[in-house]
Amino acid sequence: MSVALPDAPVSIARPQFRLDLLRPAFYALAAVLVVLVVLPLGWLGYYSLVDKDGQFTLANFITLVSDNTLRKPFGVAVGMALAVGALSCAVATPLAWLVARTDMPGRRAVRALVMASFVTPPFLGAIAWEILAAPNSGLLNVFWRQLTGAEPYDALVNIYSFAGLVFAISCYTFPYVFTLVANGLDRVPSDLEDASSILGARGWTTLRTITLPLVLPAMLAGSLIAVLQALTMFGSPAILALPAGFHVITTKIWSLFQYPPKPGLAAAASLPLLLITVLLLQGKAWVLGRKGYTVLGGKSGEPRVTRLKGWMPLALAFAFLVLSLTVLLPYAALARTALTKSGEAGLTLHHFHFVFFEFSATRLAMWNTMLLGFSTATIGTGLALLAAYMVARKPVRGAPWLGMLATAPVAIPGIVLGVGLFLTYSHPQLMLYGTLWILLIAFLTIEMPAGYQQMAAAFHGIHPELEEASRILGASRLKTLRLITAPLLRTSVVATWCFVFIGTIRELSATILLTTANTKLVSVIIYDLNESGDMGAISVLGLMLLAVSFAVVLLATRLPLLGGSRLPTLR
Amino acid sequence: MAFLELNALSKRYAGAAVVKDLSLSVEKGQLVCLLGPSGCGKTTTLRLIAGFIEPDAGEIRVGGRRISAPGQSDPPERRNMSMIFQSYALWPHMTVFDNVAYGLKLRGLAKSEAQQRAETILAATKLLQLAQRYPGELSGGQQQRVSLARALVVEPETLLLDEPLSNLDANLREEMRFEIRRLHDKYRYTTVYVTHDQAEAMTAADLIVVMNQGVIEQAGSPEEIYQRPRTEFVARFIGGTNVLRGRWDGADAVACGNGLVLRCGSGEFETGEGTAVSVRHHDIRISRGRPETETNIVQGTVARQIYLGSHRDYLVSLPDGESVRAVAPAGLSIPPGDSVWLHLPPEHCRALAH
Repeated sequence: MSVALPDAPVSIARPQFRLDLLRPAFYALAAVLVVLVVLPLGWLGYYSLVDKDGQFTLANFITLVSDNTLRKPFGVAVGMALAVGALSCAVATPLAWLVARTDMPGRRAVRALVMASFVTPPFLGAIAWEILAAPNSGLLNVFWRQLTGAEPYDALVNIYSFAGLVFAISCYTFPYVFTLVANGLDRVPSDLEDASSILGARGWTTLRTITLPLVLPAMLAGSLIAVLQALTMFGSPAILALPAGFHVITTKIWSLFQYPPKPGLAAAASLPLLLITVLLLQGKAWVLGRKGYTVLGGKSGEPRVTRLKGWMPLALAFAFLVLSLTVLLPYAALARTALTKSGEAGLTLHHFHFVFFEFSATRLAMWNTMLLGFSTATIGTGLALLAAYMVARKPVRGAPWLGMLATAPVAIPGIVLGVGLFLTYSHPQLMLYGTLWILLIAFLTIEMPAGYQQMAAAFHGIHPELEEASRILGASRLKTLRLITAPLLRTSVVATWCFVFIGTIRELSATILLTTANTKLVSVIIYDLNESGDMGAISVLGLMLLAVSFAVVLLATRLPLLGGSRLPTLR
Repeated sequence: MAFLELNALSKRYAGAAVVKDLSLSVEKGQLVCLLGPSGCGKTTTLRLIAGFIEPDAGEIRVGGRRISAPGQSDPPERRNMSMIFQSYALWPHMTVFDNVAYGLKLRGLAKSEAQQRAETILAATKLLQLAQRYPGELSGGQQQRVSLARALVVEPETLLLDEPLSNLDANLREEMRFEIRRLHDKYRYTTVYVTHDQAEAMTAADLIVVMNQGVIEQAGSPEEIYQRPRTEFVARFIGGTNVLRGRWDGADAVACGNGLVLRCGSGEFETGEGTAVSVRHHDIRISRGRPETETNIVQGTVARQIYLGSHRDYLVSLPDGESVRAVAPAGLSIPPGDSVWLHLPPEHCRALAH
């Protein structure tokens, strides 16, 4: 080692001036987030408290409490949501255990199919179940009548009912519980269970006294999310509950916008929903917040695997039943409806032709959906990236506030945001209602929390010293962002973009209040077509939506250029 | 005038002072170790020098030019320093070569020259064969050397090291200690080295700065710090020691309990009760019979003794319950429970200020 370095000193090229863009960027971002989050909620509160002439009044809240047609949907919605939570938990927990902790064959396939039901927009699932289980035309009922020779109009199952609604929603909320519990089980280190066994506990005792209590918080938290989803969902109740003749709170709020519109009352009805959401999220945070004891913790050793032996057929049957009801049957029903025409034998592309070439509304809707999907994903990811950077690296005082602002919309149900945005942007001075802008604003707000959390997690994975090493070697903050941070974040940025894109193209709850004839989206078209009973066209559009979603997911995870590359990671 | 000067530097986090009114001068080409337990403010001091954080009070000067002061600090990229991080902070998306050449590219060097310089330093750190690997494909020691090469190749005015060896296993750590000293002797960068490991500091440093709770306890050469600790904290932190307390007689002796009177060869006496005296483990002589001297002896009982090959480690209980650790030749074996005499020679007894 006698090699000497060349002697000539290398000095840092000093820029003559340096422009610190951080502060302006910080204030701009804060302003954008305030406009997105605080403004609509402010107007919502304002409108709920004034009458037509702008005078203060509590009339809206008095109506809310005294009018039975308004009170009842709250009760129904809460009952429905709790039932959904219970059913989701009851189905998802055993399935998660089978997948995470047993030798059941096809565990990967089960996980993949559960993810498929995750990606399915719930309103599409509800429509699929209409095709399957409507009392007269439902395929299952027709089949049952053929099989048993029952009378016409006799029905085995009726999806247009409270039970049917709970079932159809649970099909698409149980993945929340499944994912949390399965991840939890993956992470419960086997030594905890081995410690129990060595002390003399049998397999069943260990499962009951150690494993289940450890994932109990995950079960609770997952169920709370399911309850929240059910409570704030608009599509499925609108499709299934309205024909059954009852309202839940979201459909009631929507109906208050039908002629004659009562925006003040809608605003007042939104506030309790907002409150319940906030409380549920608090509950979830509280349940998951008691760390050290739950899902988190070091991974030591492989999770222990239970041999099913004689129980295998039962386990397989259970898994198959769940997946049939949530994924296989609905998809088959959609495919069949898309490819056949009543009164004609054999397969036909009639509905495809109709949707893509005859039906005038679809092209505009597809264009709008793609345009909004791309712009929301791009702008939203950019904002989330910036906010996450500010919060993670705190270059400016007050940066943590950005994180709170960016996550706040998680507590705003889509329909509530819809009401708030409608009230905010339909003034004569500021008329965005009827344009795509209001939808863009809505989607940006709705997707901000998920996008921000993903980017924040990504920053969490990048040691600040990686950036500091670049700074001390002579790169400015911006140059470091470009040369070091951006390449390291590429995978997460692509994933976030896809996530936001998929979330956007399936949004219905806020869209339904903000859309007009010129700003129709595919999701709204599907909803409209459902009212006119055109199942063939719906199926085609639905399958297209699913195909795009899956293609984006696949692209994000597989394309080496975008993300799944062979980036070697440090430790 | 010193090359790197810290003047009355202070930094608070959430109201708690992490660095308090700290002043330090480092000569050009000197290697200074900031040594102390975790939370003593040494890493904060280093990050203040690097410019990742700004002081709340005081200033930092390099070559007479002020680079840090509240509200007006140069950003890290304009300080012509480089740094070796505890996590190494190698960029996982760049090869070893690209990692090393990064700083050269930023300095606008021509491609051929950057290549030549990078290869020179890669050869000096025995990394030439690994130039096209990614950091994720290297062992811990190799990653450490890449981070060393990356910091040295830009020939910084000041080199900063933040616990560079704490992620290595013991053997490698010892080897790298000498390696860092060797590279420093060769290139003579002004270096600030943060560590909590006294052996690392002793091997590497020209000047050791012992820090505790945000202030400098003592600064000096390794010999000075070890042989003439000023405070109890320094005596205990650098090398093991016994600290005995008693009352100072005003001259050169401290009367402890048990009839032990310690005449001290050096140190500053604290007035009043509880004057502390430090005696290193291996400076105490242990014997069965009473030594031929009047002061600096005490009788006790062997509480525990451990055979460690090169020596024996004794724990001796004094009558008042106090314990003294002493190191004796391996051949001297006295079983626990036996009575022994300890001789603490005056020349090895050092009185400590606070």
